[in-house]
Parts: sequence; structure tokens; C-alpha cells
Amino acid sequence: MGARLRSFALVASVVLATIGAPAATGGAAACADEGPHAALVVGNGARIVKLCVTLDAAEVSGLRLIELAAAQHGLSYGFGLGGAAVCRLDGVGPGGDDCFAEYPDFWGYWHGDGREGWAWAGTGAASYRIGDGDVEGWTWGAGDTGATHPKPPATDVGGVCVAPEPSASPSQTQSPKPNPKPEPTPKPSQPSSPPSASSSASPSTTPVAGETRDPSASPKADKGTATEEPSPSAAISPSPSPSGAVLAVGPPSGGSGGAPVGLLVAIVLGVALTVGGWLRLRGRSKVAT
Amino acid sequence: MRTGLHPGAWIAWASGAGMVAFVTTDPVYLLLLWALAWFVYATHRVPGPEARSFRLFLLAALITLGLRTGLVLLGTVNPSNVAFAFLEGLRLATILVVFGTFNAVTDPFGVVRLAPRRFHEPALAAALALSIAPRTVASVANVREAQRLRGIHVSPLRSLPALAVPVLEAGMEQAVTLAESMDARGHGRGRRSRYRAQSWSRPAAAIAASALTAAVVFLSASFGGWAVLHPPTSPLAWPETEPILLGAIALLALPGFVRGGQG
Repeated sequence: MGARLRSFALVASVVLATIGAPAATGGAAACADEGPHAALVVGNGARIVKLCVTLDAAEVSGLRLIELAAAQHGLSYGFGLGGAAVCRLDGVGPGGDDCFAEYPDFWGYWHGDGREGWAWAGTGAASYRIGDGDVEGWTWGAGDTGATHPKPPATDVGGVCVAPEPSASPSQTQSPKPNPKPEPTPKPSQPSSPPSASSSASPSTTPVAGETRDPSASPKADKGTATEEPSPSAAISPSPSPSGAVLAVGPPSGGSGGAPVGLLVAIVLGVALTVGGWLRLRGRSKVAT
Repeated sequence: MRTGLHPGAWIAWASGAGMVAFVTTDPVYLLLLWALAWFVYATHRVPGPEARSFRLFLLAALITLGLRTGLVLLGTVNPSNVAFAFLEGLRLATILVVFGTFNAVTDPFGVVRLAPRRFHEPALAAALALSIAPRTVASVANVREAQRLRGIHVSPLRSLPALAVPVLEAGMEQAVTLAESMDARGHGRGRRSRYRAQSWSRPAAAIAASALTAAVVFLSASFGGWAVLHPPTSPLAWPETEPILLGAIALLALPGFVRGGQG
């Protein structure tokens, strides 16, 4: 009797502890700007774009973040699989509803781990919740796990979402921009922007201006919160080739041949353990009676 | 008096299995944990009331699973969301099952007794916390019965004030008694001796080591990202099974192959 009630109290405490635990996690550095922000890193294989996205709610889904990035920075995108998956980003990926059309290449989904590193996403972008200070990454490439898929570059939300300096007003200043690096051919007409930590630290020759994206894409120049760095393989032009294939989240089903074998082993193991336990209990109760 | 494995081995096993359940929502790994928890319970359960706690925790696990999955009805209901909620619930339920197994094969109070001397006060508080709620519930039943015997028939709601005072008083008295008895047995004193202290047998050490290995493998997969621990639910896909992780989980079944009675 006592033991039973005691166990009940244990159940209650464990339930409370487990439910409370997830709530205690999360919460990274917030942007200095007003309102919630999240950093979005998109690597399409040719270049890497880092965008500071202002959230329109305390928490948004991974898909909503991409929509917001499109509205705020002109990021091109396309959803598929009934709008639940990311097929196309920054000009790369299949245009249809089948995000796996180009498998083994697909859009891998990453979450920033709060220490500038990355964790392979385990859930879909439609159900993942992003809050203030979070970092999200999408990379185009092959590889079904976080170990084999190309990883986005180390990113800190503070390096992407830089607080606008009160003196340097965003786009309209014509003064030469305070870039420590000598520029061979400074274009005087180029709008300058407040220096962003990530771009000035990188050995990039790309100007730090708002967004230097594909000229044909005619992006909206923004507050200088978007920076772009050429990726190591910058020779490739980011032209949207129809050969690009994509996936939104995680590995495609049935991708690896070893999976069914592993599943079979697991089932056999589980059944053996269950039957073994049952036999043991039965043997014991026979001894007891 | 139990003569099973060292409680430390069970602590290691339960934390290892709990850690594995905590970092994954893959139903293959989670259901394997259910199977091996059942196997370990069947091997080591002690005849008596404590063994009932496994059933109780199993019930709690199923209720948790149902509640967590049912929460999806408050939002958009589609296969992806239901699967996601189900897997989250399954993870919680697995942790409960692991804890129920731990509870059924070892005595929580024996575990509290293991606490080092300098942690005397936390251990005492833990012992009280573990005991005061069930004791209070037990004394509710006692007072109820006493009232019934005296012919007092009041509705459960009305009888609440009449119930509260004796129950609270009894609970407080019992807590003080427990603290005094722990003190009298030398908890928190320098010269505390252990009556028939249990030693670490070789199987117990092996169980602890294998459980910690399993936890480390899963944690490295969780932080290193070299295996899929959370199967994609949008779009829905069959979970992948990583042989290394399967092997790590199988390590947790080791207590099922060790007879504790002679240890």
C-alpha cells in the first residue's frame, strides 16, 4: 500500500520535471535592434547569404522565417510537398512540388546551437519554432545526416543582426564607407552601410553594402543587415539550374539501403526481449506458487 | 532486505537509459527501451509491493502518451503533427517506464541512504519529499475509514475541512518521526556506520559501465549530429536505424542477463 502510493508521488514528480525541462532551454543573445530577430543563413552551393530577419511574432515556424526573409530581403524561395517542405532557395532547387527531384542534392536544414555551431535539424521547418536570437541555416548539397551534409559557416546571431548605429543612417549616405580594407575600385555611387561584424572580419572583397545579390534578381536594398560572403567555391554562378534538386527537412525516406536491415534487427531484438521477459515472469510465478 | 545489485549500478542504468530516451524521438530506439526495461524488470523484480510500481508507472506512461498526443487536437490536426506529438509523448512515456523499472528493482530509500555524509541534509529532504506525499494520501484513507466507522457520512466535498486537519497533523508528525529516526541512525554524523554495506560486484560495475557507454554514444550522436535521432515528421518518413546506436541500446539490456540474487 505504502509503496504504491510512494510510487505515485514519484510519477507525479517525474512528470512535472520532464514537462518543465524543455521550457528551460533556449534563449540566445538578442539583437540590439527592437523586436525579435533571427539570423537566416542560406548556402546554395555557390555563395552564402546571411540575413537578419525581423520576426512578426514571438515565435515563428521555420517556413515562416523564409517567407519573412523573402519579404524583407528579397530572398527567392519555393515550397513543395504540399507547402510543408523547402524546395527552392536563393535560385537553387527544383521548381515543382517534388523537393526530392534532384536527390541526392537537397536543401539540408540546420539549427544554430547558440555557440556559432550547427545541429542537424530533426524535425520539419513547418513545426520547428524559432524565437528571438535563434540562428537557422539551409545548405544545398548531398548527404543524409549532419555528418555528411555540407554545414553552413560558423555564425553568431550578433554578427548578422548588428545594432544600427544612431549616427550612421542606413542607405542614403554618400560618404565613403568606413571599411578598413583598401578597395581597388571604390564606386562612389555605391550606398554605404554601417559595417557589419561578419563582413568586416571576413577577407571578403565583396562590398559591405546592403545586399549585393544577383543583379538580375533586383533585391530590395535593406538596412545593411544582410551580408554576403563568397563561399570557397565561388567560381560557380548562382544561376538557378533546372538540375537542382531539393528536400526540405531531414533525409529522404528509404534513402539508405542499410535502414531496413537495422529496423529488422531492432524488431527481432525487441520481440526477443519482450518474450524473454514474459517467460522469465512466468517461470518466477511458477516457482512462487 | 534486498540482496540485489548495488543501488549505484541501478542509478547508472536508469540515468543511462533515461538519457538515451531524452535525446531521441526515434520510435525504434524508444520501443526497444520499453522492451528491455520490461526484460530487466522481469529478471530483477522482487516479489512484494514495490514490484507493483512498474505497473503503476506503465499506466502513467500510457496516460502521458495519450495526453501528449491528445494535445494536438488543440491545434492543426494533420498526420505530421499527430506523429510529432505521438513521438514526443512516447519519449516522455519511455522515461517514465525506465523510472518505473528502476523503482521496481531497487528501493528509492536505499538510494537515498547512499548519499555521502556531506549531503546529509539534501538526502534528508529528498527522503521526506519522497515519503510525505504518499503518507499523506495514506492517512487520508485512514481518516476516511475512521469517520466511516463512527458513522459520519458527509459528502466528499463537505468533509474536506474535517479531513484536512488530522491529515496534515499526521503528515507533519510522520515527517518529524522520519527525520528523527534518520538522525538516530547516524545520518549526518561523522561516525556513521553502514550495516551490511553493499559492495560493488563485478556484474554491477559492468552494468554501470555499459549504461554510461550507451548514454555517451547517444549524447555524442545528439551533439555531433552523426546520426538521425529525430525522424522527420514533415514530411513523414520511416525512421532510420543506425547500427551503432542499436548496439548502444542493446548494452542497456545487460542487467537482464545478470542474476542479482547472489550478488
